Amino acid sequence: MMKLTRLLTLAGFAATLLTGTAYAAPVDLTLWHMEQPPHRVQRMKELLDEFNAAHPDIQVKQEPQSWGEVYAKAPAAFAAGNGPDLLFTIPDFTTVLKGIDAVVPVDDLVKDLDAKHGFIEATLAPYKYDDHVWAVPAYNMAISLWYRNSVLKAAGVEVPKTWSEWQAAAEKLSTDGKYGIGLPANKQLYTDQTVYSVMVNSGAADIYKDDGSIDFDKPATVNAYDFYSKLAKLSPADNGSWTWGEAEACFASNTCGMILQFGVINTYDTQAEGDAADLGVAPVPHADDQSESATISYSNAIMLTTKDEAKQAAAKVFLAWLLEPANYGRFLTMEPGLFLPVTDDGAKADSFWNDKTVTKYKSQVETMISNSHAGKLFGFTTGKVFPSIGAISAQNVIAETLQHIVVDGQSAADAVKGGQARMSEIAKK
Amino acid sequence: MKRTFGQALSLYGGLLLIALLICMPFWWVITGSIKLPREIIQRVPTMIPESFTLQHFEKLLQASDFPVYLINSLIVASFSTAFTVLLALPAAYAFFRMEFPGRNALYRTILLAYAFPGVVVLIPLYGLFAKVGLIDSPVALVVVNVAFALPFSIWMMRSFLATIPREIEEAAVVDGAPTTTILVRILMPLIAPGIASVAIFAFISSWTEYLFASVLIVSDARRTIPVGFAGIIGQYQIDWGLLLAGATAAIIPVVALFALVGRWFVSGLTDGAVK
Repeated sequence: MMKLTRLLTLAGFAATLLTGTAYAAPVDLTLWHMEQPPHRVQRMKELLDEFNAAHPDIQVKQEPQSWGEVYAKAPAAFAAGNGPDLLFTIPDFTTVLKGIDAVVPVDDLVKDLDAKHGFIEATLAPYKYDDHVWAVPAYNMAISLWYRNSVLKAAGVEVPKTWSEWQAAAEKLSTDGKYGIGLPANKQLYTDQTVYSVMVNSGAADIYKDDGSIDFDKPATVNAYDFYSKLAKLSPADNGSWTWGEAEACFASNTCGMILQFGVINTYDTQAEGDAADLGVAPVPHADDQSESATISYSNAIMLTTKDEAKQAAAKVFLAWLLEPANYGRFLTMEPGLFLPVTDDGAKADSFWNDKTVTKYKSQVETMISNSHAGKLFGFTTGKVFPSIGAISAQNVIAETLQHIVVDGQSAADAVKGGQARMSEIAKK
Repeated sequence: MKRTFGQALSLYGGLLLIALLICMPFWWVITGSIKLPREIIQRVPTMIPESFTLQHFEKLLQASDFPVYLINSLIVASFSTAFTVLLALPAAYAFFRMEFPGRNALYRTILLAYAFPGVVVLIPLYGLFAKVGLIDSPVALVVVNVAFALPFSIWMMRSFLATIPREIEEAAVVDGAPTTTILVRILMPLIAPGIASVAIFAFISSWTEYLFASVLIVSDARRTIPVGFAGIIGQYQIDWGLLLAGATAAIIPVVALFALVGRWFVSGLTDGAVK
């Protein structure tokens, strides 16, 4: 009887173990991203459904958020213990979350992925500092110069490569109720981006010195602001309230001859019903004393934000799966003509180039990718990152400096001097 | 007094100008929602649509979660309105009629809560709601909406109560009616326009509330219109037709509410109450 009892106990124990193994609960991951438009949410859902089906032991669910609120919402969620496990980011947002110890370094994962897919260095650089890599690049966005071939041809102007050519082209295109160029002058992120894309083309890319002090007030910056303010005069008068959408609409309606924008393909194709062959895109022109064009680029990435080791391992499986060329192209084409690859093999993936919009605007997308290789971002150009960049970015000091010129009538030199003082004041806090 | 032609012209001209200023944005939004994309993005907008399409509404209702956001907003706004009215009425009556120490000071103090910027309490409230498991719950939004709408609603309601002649209440007291009966059977019907005003105020406050809804709600399926709609529109690329169709659809419930309770505004406050 004793033997039978022992046998039954052992059998029960073995059965429990086996059952536990066979029906182990999957690792649940929550992904916060800021790709809220319905078609992007739908594409993410398709990808996650596919991943979850192929990996029954890992289940990833998405919770779309807004860029407008996530800066306040994510820290609150982490403080309350209900933050996500994976979180989309841009460089300055990473500094905010790193500051509250919510981000886990991904050095090994990035090293493996780099060896396998080859990250474009410009997309990785903003996340490499303090001896670690803080996020896995996911897609890139870089500002380019957009124009219509037919409009330039009718005006007898070539695609501008230098500032003097650019100004001449904008002046020539400013006729009959049309504006040669549409540049924003709003105190808003879009203006930060367009002004900086001019700054990087005059050799004023760095706004910090190595010791963390502000390096904004210099002749190259003054030249950039002076030039930008001249172009802004050739833009519609309401540009003081513009964000990305207004500039894009101005171009799509054929009112603005040229604009600086991350991408216009979707709006041009669906709202302006434009001819693909007529849409032109080029690098942002450089100052006459420079030899190469550069631009501003936002490398969007994914942070690991869970301290749970099982979740970290599962998250790495998911990120590796996402960057596989067969999947990665479908991720990028959730917004075709805007999201650019961050890996060498992603830039060649059939899953990317087979998208019908990308196929239709192939030459433009190729130019956008090429431009993105020369992308930089203010505050992330020296290999050292200082926490005040978050506040400088959030308070739109670059755009505010421009407003002192175009609204208050200050000289570029005085406005840049004021910008230096503002940034230094913020950096001291 | 008979108006001169010049006075009448100035009066009606002024009224027309004000009406145009108020109506023009609505006209632009509503007519824009039925124009083709190419016409919408024209630099000089057309006052009378030159094209007609329902494609933006089709996209809004079929390709986005707008219907879900609409239902969520209706639920949150309706409950917020009901609780605000139910709490504001007895509180206003207490401040209006009952004698207790510090009544006037407290009456003035409660308005401070209305003047308090919501963003200041956003993070502490998030922590509080997280502790009691109310993050991502419409209950949290109802609690916040009621808390912020209540102070001003009490003030509004008390003002309406103050317009009712005291003799009406005295007559009820002589007949032996208790306080609850006086409030429910006598005063409530008399301040129906006041209740309607508070209800509209609470509904619109809740309907348009963005800050707390954007932070306290996490999942897409529980979003209200202002937050969900902001996400639909996107940042770098704007679908203007979708934006205008959404804005048009979002004002329909508010217009319907006005149509429903508007009659209370035209009825007299105390017509026939004192004979």
